[in-house]
Amino acid sequence: MIRGTVFDIQRFSVHDGPGIRSTVFLKGCSLRCFWCHNPEGIRPQPEIQFEPDKCIGCGECVLVCPQGAQLLDGDQRVFVRDRCDACGQCVETCYAGALSLVGRAMAVEDVLAEVMQDRPFYDSSGGGVTLSGGEPVLQTEFARALLARLQAGDVHTAIETAGYYPWERLETLLPHIDLVMMDLKQMDSARHRAATGAPNERILQTARRLAQTAIPVIFRVPVIPTVNDTPGAIRAIAAFVGELSALRGAALPLELLPFHRLAESKYTSLGREYAARSLPASVEHFAELQTVVQEYGF
Amino acid sequence: MAVTTLTYGQRLDALRAAKLEQTREKQEVLGAMDHDDWAVVLPPPELREVIDAISGSGEPITDCIYKGWHPQSNHPSGGFFGPRAVGDNYRDFLEHHPVYIDPNSSLAGAYMFNFMSYRKPYWNPDFDYSHLQPDQEKYQLIHGIGGSQHFCQDLQIGLDLGWQGLLEKIRRYRKLNYPHGHDFYHGIGSVVHGVQDWIRRHADAARAMAERETDPVLRRNLEEIAAMNAHLVTEPPRTFRDACQWILWYQMVARMFNGSGSLGQLDVLLAPYYERDTAAGLLTDEEAIFHIACLLLRDTAYIQLGGPDADGRDVTNHLSYLVLEAGHRLGIPANIGVSVGEGIDPGLLQRGVEIIVGDRHGYPKFLGSDHVVAGTVRNGVPLEAARQRTYSGCHWSAIPGREYGLMDIVKINFGAVFDVALRDMLAGERAPHTLDALWERFVHHLARAVAVVAEGLDVHMAHMHDVFPELVLDLCCHGPIEKGLDASHGGVEFYLLGVDGAALATVADSFAAIEQRVVREGRLTWEDLLRHLDADWAGPDGERARLMMSSVPRFGHGNTPADDYAWRISEAFSALVTAKPTPAGFRMVPGLFSWALTIAMGARLGATPNGRRAGEPISQGANPHPGFRKDGAPTALAVAVAAVQPGYGNTAPLQIDLEPSIASDEAARSQIASLIRTHFDLGGTQINMNVLDTQKLLEAYEDPSKYPDLVVRVTGFSAYFSSLSPEFRKMVVDRVLAAESA
Repeated sequence: MIRGTVFDIQRFSVHDGPGIRSTVFLKGCSLRCFWCHNPEGIRPQPEIQFEPDKCIGCGECVLVCPQGAQLLDGDQRVFVRDRCDACGQCVETCYAGALSLVGRAMAVEDVLAEVMQDRPFYDSSGGGVTLSGGEPVLQTEFARALLARLQAGDVHTAIETAGYYPWERLETLLPHIDLVMMDLKQMDSARHRAATGAPNERILQTARRLAQTAIPVIFRVPVIPTVNDTPGAIRAIAAFVGELSALRGAALPLELLPFHRLAESKYTSLGREYAARSLPASVEHFAELQTVVQEYGF
Repeated sequence: MAVTTLTYGQRLDALRAAKLEQTREKQEVLGAMDHDDWAVVLPPPELREVIDAISGSGEPITDCIYKGWHPQSNHPSGGFFGPRAVGDNYRDFLEHHPVYIDPNSSLAGAYMFNFMSYRKPYWNPDFDYSHLQPDQEKYQLIHGIGGSQHFCQDLQIGLDLGWQGLLEKIRRYRKLNYPHGHDFYHGIGSVVHGVQDWIRRHADAARAMAERETDPVLRRNLEEIAAMNAHLVTEPPRTFRDACQWILWYQMVARMFNGSGSLGQLDVLLAPYYERDTAAGLLTDEEAIFHIACLLLRDTAYIQLGGPDADGRDVTNHLSYLVLEAGHRLGIPANIGVSVGEGIDPGLLQRGVEIIVGDRHGYPKFLGSDHVVAGTVRNGVPLEAARQRTYSGCHWSAIPGREYGLMDIVKINFGAVFDVALRDMLAGERAPHTLDALWERFVHHLARAVAVVAEGLDVHMAHMHDVFPELVLDLCCHGPIEKGLDASHGGVEFYLLGVDGAALATVADSFAAIEQRVVREGRLTWEDLLRHLDADWAGPDGERARLMMSSVPRFGHGNTPADDYAWRISEAFSALVTAKPTPAGFRMVPGLFSWALTIAMGARLGATPNGRRAGEPISQGANPHPGFRKDGAPTALAVAVAAVQPGYGNTAPLQIDLEPSIASDEAARSQIASLIRTHFDLGGTQINMNVLDTQKLLEAYEDPSKYPDLVVRVTGFSAYFSSLSPEFRKMVVDRVLAAESA
């Protein structure tokens, strides 16, 4: 049986496509965007999340950890992340909910059992199910099996992708997808690489290939200070999407998404540095950038 | 010279400001008010006497009574009982009640006292029910004996007859039935005399005020008020404004008498007047909205807009929209429900959603007509009557003028029943300690609790007419005057006595926690569990045990054992309540609603196995406990509450709190509308919704005086946030924060 690594299923998702949706978050990503809103989705393997403010200091996790990753040092509870193999035994015993396992192996049936509970709401609102991540396309086989089942059940399907993978992976999913929401971040490949760890050529290639299909696509730009929050950077992306529209012979939508710092506590709980901490929580001239996009007819 | 005249908008602003000032004064004099705002206005300082009392719904309140006025007792207990004494005292009370006219309002009157607060003792001790008290205590039942109103009159009767017409009707039937009903007719007639006096004094006062008024708009208004009320002392209303004023008098008199807030189908009642006046060019929509707003300003009555008529045709009309608009423009607590269902104008839902998203006042609320009607039929009520069952109280409906229900009064706290069951099972030495045995004990004790309630209802039904009869609602019912019988005594056609369950999630989660932690995983023994409950989770291992029990997946998550238990409990409860009538033959109807008693019932209840500490609130109505899912998904909530509907036409409302920043207003409106429709499609019966700005709510929680005009839907009723006690504010904030944590 195909299993996927799922790190969350959110019902009543309202930012991930039309209508009332459920979003299935698949773990693992090929980019390393320093501001990532879902840092728990970056690594493909399950990992332990620790929220210190929920810990009651009972020490049960220390007793059960077979790796010696959970330690008590005097009064101080210490989590040695390097030793942890995410077996999850500590999570079982952490009733306070301070420890949680991010990433569960789930069969398609398991996911369906959860998301189909909201089927009547999808129908009444024009919603459906969205695969997000991480980069959902990387779990290609699982994503295809899940999308096919949803499609067979007449559920509207959408996917949120960053486009950094061999085209064939997305191509095999497309017959089962009703809407693609694709991120574009920076047209300058060197700057793209500095911000995300990867050059942008393959991503732009994915976008072009997508434009040549008939599948509805929405391009989205997370507006990130220091990365792309200038009229010039946005203009370049808008011009590119304009070219794509010409390729398709129809206007493709482009949306800007404002930056927020809501992910900060997630970084802490995963023992990672939040490199976007010093960025301002909002882009002051977001409205101005919106008008740039509008100039291009979006 | 430029002549400035006051607009309706300016007058409404002035009325709203006066209302806010009155509310602030009430908060100062009465303290916290954990109930419907009611719109009661404080009397002048020299007439105030602050006392502890029992409200019309049976909860203890702080109230202000008329200094120096006392009812005449007719009983050694010091109380006054029976129709003659109640009617005479109420007449005297009305004849003393001060006059209130705000020159900005198009309608006269405001009420200042609750007659119920003089009802001491509350019940005539001659009608003893002490034999029931041990079990009522054991199960912590709110038994409802002595409860009043909580059904709905048919105002059409009064609008057709006027006060003098009602009096003549009383005289006619008194003669016809003589000597039967002698005291009843005397008492109910006294009420009408009292009302007429109160109205007449307002007409006189308005005339005097008009002579002194310098503003031409207000002077004319006062003259009109004087003329209108001089007419209404005896005659039925002729115009739209007359009808609003007549309904307001009736509603205030009913509210003061025993807390009745059931107004019913205002859009239907006012329609003929609206049509006549607009056709004659006497009324514009702006004026109609203003008159309705002046009516809503003086009482937070429960009103249904739209919905089926006897033949199943939707009654939604232009006036439905005007009433909705009036509540929206007022921006004060209001309890107006928009009907949603098959064949009902979807525009009403759309406009309601626009308002609730735009205003963020928890207004309006939404009524699932289809399942209320279908469920009501299951009680043997003919379809034509079931269709006319009208929303008229916190969570309940009634057939106007034809049904007596004692709705929203009787409460069975499943948590208390569960506690008895658990201890009963563990006390039995031979009995195996198993989940099945626990379930069997739970159903056994639930059955006993229902039986005790049934016996109590019979005590009520046998004697209430001789304790505190429904002398105001009787006036506008089909039967009481004709038969000379109080509505609680056979005066009306249908008797469907509401019996509500509470703490559904508390008990479902307790069962699930025991199943997982005690039975399946063996992490805790039954004895340990009992020890922790008795110790309220104190001791070195207490908090860990509590967290262990509370971290089990809860009702509302979906597809969990707790979800199954919630469904089973609701099923078992419905079956027990509907299995047989009370010993005297009254049908009981199950609902799930804990109303404002969520906190009070929790305060009496010890620790429960779901990790709840002793004294903490029980779960609210049919809702899961806050925090039931990490994403707090409103859809999960809507599915869960739809799944546990009792199914007999009395509701299990969905209490839902949404944060509008979830999306753009436009997307929010469309998603909320489909959330509402789908919940009702799935079987839901009523939705109490807040669309709240969380930041504002948190600031108001820190400092309630910062947002004196913040209105929230607490449960079935709405209230000023600043008027609530700290416990109630916390309940609302906890709910919203839990929903937010997504």
